[in-house]
Amino acid sequence: MARYILRRIGWTVVLLALVSAVTFVIFYALPSADPAVLRAGRQASPELVAQIRARLGLDDPLVVQYWTYMKDVVLHFDFGFSYQSGESVRAAIVSRLPATISMTVGALVIWLATALPIGVISAIRRRSLLDRVTMTGALLAISAPVYWLALVALYLFASDIGVIPIFDGANTYVGITQDPVQWFASLLLPWLVLAAGFSAFYARLLRANLVEVMGEDYIRTARAKGLPERRVVWRHGVRAAITPIVTVLGLDIGVLLGGSILTESVFNIPGVGRYAYDAIRTADLPAIQGTVLFAAFFIVVANLVVDIAYAFLDPRVRYG
Amino acid sequence: MNDLRLRRARRPLPSRPLLLGCVATLALVLGACGGSSSDKKVAAGGFASGLPTDGQKRGGTLKLLGSEGFFHLDPGGSYFQLDYMVTYATQRPLYYFKPDDPKTAVPDLADGPPQVSADNKTVTVKIKSGIRYGTNKKTAITGKEVTAADVKYAFERGLNPSVANGYEGVYFPLVGADKAKGGPISGITTPDAHTIVFKLTKPFGATTARALVMPLTVPVPKSYVAPLDAKQPNPYDAQPERQAFTGPYMISDYKAGKTITLVRNPQWDPKTDFKPAYLDRIEWTIDADPNVAGRQIFSGTGLANADTPTAGAVKRFATRAKDRITFTPLGNRFVGVNTQRKPFSDINVRKAFAAALDRRAMLLARGGPLVGQLATHFLPPTIPGYDEAGGAKGTGADYLANPSGDPAVAAKYMKLAGFPSGKANGEKVVMLGENDSPAKETAQITRDAIASLGFDVSFRLLDQSTLYSKFCGVRTELEKIDVCGFAGWLPDFSDPYAMLTANFYGKSITAVNNSNASLFDDPAVNAAMDKAALIADAGDRAKAWGAIDRRLVDKVAAVPFLFDNVANIASKNVQGVVGQWIASWDLAYTSLK
Repeated sequence: MARYILRRIGWTVVLLALVSAVTFVIFYALPSADPAVLRAGRQASPELVAQIRARLGLDDPLVVQYWTYMKDVVLHFDFGFSYQSGESVRAAIVSRLPATISMTVGALVIWLATALPIGVISAIRRRSLLDRVTMTGALLAISAPVYWLALVALYLFASDIGVIPIFDGANTYVGITQDPVQWFASLLLPWLVLAAGFSAFYARLLRANLVEVMGEDYIRTARAKGLPERRVVWRHGVRAAITPIVTVLGLDIGVLLGGSILTESVFNIPGVGRYAYDAIRTADLPAIQGTVLFAAFFIVVANLVVDIAYAFLDPRVRYG
Repeated sequence: MNDLRLRRARRPLPSRPLLLGCVATLALVLGACGGSSSDKKVAAGGFASGLPTDGQKRGGTLKLLGSEGFFHLDPGGSYFQLDYMVTYATQRPLYYFKPDDPKTAVPDLADGPPQVSADNKTVTVKIKSGIRYGTNKKTAITGKEVTAADVKYAFERGLNPSVANGYEGVYFPLVGADKAKGGPISGITTPDAHTIVFKLTKPFGATTARALVMPLTVPVPKSYVAPLDAKQPNPYDAQPERQAFTGPYMISDYKAGKTITLVRNPQWDPKTDFKPAYLDRIEWTIDADPNVAGRQIFSGTGLANADTPTAGAVKRFATRAKDRITFTPLGNRFVGVNTQRKPFSDINVRKAFAAALDRRAMLLARGGPLVGQLATHFLPPTIPGYDEAGGAKGTGADYLANPSGDPAVAAKYMKLAGFPSGKANGEKVVMLGENDSPAKETAQITRDAIASLGFDVSFRLLDQSTLYSKFCGVRTELEKIDVCGFAGWLPDFSDPYAMLTANFYGKSITAVNNSNASLFDDPAVNAAMDKAALIADAGDRAKAWGAIDRRLVDKVAAVPFLFDNVANIASKNVQGVVGQWIASWDLAYTSLK
């Protein structure tokens, strides 16, 4: 197992290097804005633009620029500074990570706490009224674009602009260390919005898997052995049915830690996703690179954790 | 200020809501254009005037909600509308436009009007005594008096690449500036602590004097800032709370992309300033969703927009809270066509295109009747020369007479261009446009107009930043394109020179960062602009630039279609005052009710 983990970590490093290289190439190969021109403003003379290009190192060959960038990342964990704000990209991302982690973890708790029981009950009581109601609701939740859902949630429930003002609305987020109660209150609605789609998807996925698993021979054998139904469902059914969900879960957590742009935008939660969005919009390459690398890091780490978790969930899986 | 294209790159928002401008014939926003003092609060149509009123309340906290961040808060780099809102509240430039008069700058840091020498090559400014620097943390500069040397250093550092001022070379042709890279400029001297003299390389004093409202003129104490200017990135910009402040407010806290907070500057002495500075504190939230922000401002208290409200928000305020929305004219929009490449190098084809273009549809695409005034020339209503160029009526050109387009006139000019049938024969025209609404829709209307002339239009849409920084702003690329996006310009200050030269002066065609979208280079127009830039008398200047504007229309340097109006919205307990010259809240005049 240790060798496997070490090998995966090695590949993670290679993968991150590849991701950074691809981002770099895409930025330059495809038409995108010139940071020096954006920095200089439209009345600036070509000489000034040239000076800015030189100062930002944009005149160096691409390979040199990439090498310089990676050297700083590897040796100093320095992702450069934003062309836009002059802020250190590392500091910007680190300062925004707590908000993104808060969003992700809270939503994760809600969507697992709702999706698992709904998925299991729907599978066990197939075609019941409860199954039909929850699966229809799930379909609606999956179909609703998160931006739209967030706006509707605010217009319905936000304390300042909602028809039924029961939740804190947009622009109310504070850090957990600043005011834990306000932190919780400000995130409740974003958590529910973010969790809605995921919860629905996971419930449907679990239901489908469990329905299939419950028809397997070994389930029949378990029942024939006289095991209680609860044990059959949870120990034999759910455990097998949940394996593919863990795979998806790992990816989703990784993606969300890279930033949930729309939810962060609507609720104005200063997370990594919004930072990435702004960076792309303003052709801020260091910020784009930084956020892409962070997102990629979270995704590959989440994958690694998932693969390791497999070994515990499925006794047939062993790593050499 | 920078042009609409780049400004809007930072504000990819729904159509900018506009209303008819300060046009006497339309008489819609008379209040905003200087109505009587008795009804200063209300403009015609029932909308808020955005003007200062008597008895505004002192104290309280204003919260601004904006979706955009700042470009540069260093006064040396500040060049965008949002940057200006903070810079002009926290710093004192030499001159200042009071919110109700966008045409006449008044001395702020300066102690009297600028003195321009008879040969128009020297500008002398006296500065006030008793203006002191405030800082968040006590430093050697805290409480120190501003001197002329600080203004001198502000100009010097503007040429330092770590500050990179975007307009110094345009409005301040200083002797010795070509050799300076942040060090001394021989053309600036300070004979005493309160006098600064600018020596120019050409007789440009009349224009330079008008440009002394720009943030570059904000004093910067060298002893304190020079060590910061040596760093990359420059902390005076990236950490603006470290600045030495001269205005009524100072930046107490700044988190890039998140929030900025302004508090009172304890060193600011109201006896030296005319600004009332009613508010105690200003809290500005960045990255707010514009749809949500519009609703919050509508329902909440103590809130106002920081940047362009959405069309939905404007509609809601305009119908349900007229007294809390203001409309302020600012800038122009036009379609530039490549005047150096066939087919648009032929003036008759350009006239045919102007005649074919459905400008009314473009207005509707940008938001309908609320969005502003159809333009028939280039100088907007708030800029001197507007009336001289024809005002709302225009110059009388037949190809701009029908805002919905006139196929018969178009055909007439196509025949004159050598197309006997009145239509082209499928010659190819290359057009690029923006892929965001409403620019996308206006691009499609433009494409249809060109196609209606019989051309085969190769049409591609790109994101705005890419479009301008890689294609329309790069001369070698632009030379291969017939129609490149849409241009528009916000004046850096209220003067026709600042409005017209960037877009239509031959020398403004540059290899990169080109702002002359039509590649328009007419020797007669260039000469007229050179001459008009030297005129000091306001009336004569307006006449001369009005005539140039007419000539630009005659030559179809581009096809004007809109004079923008900007909406600002506020909560019910906010007495919002708009700086008419930048169409944004003047934070030093805005108050709570």
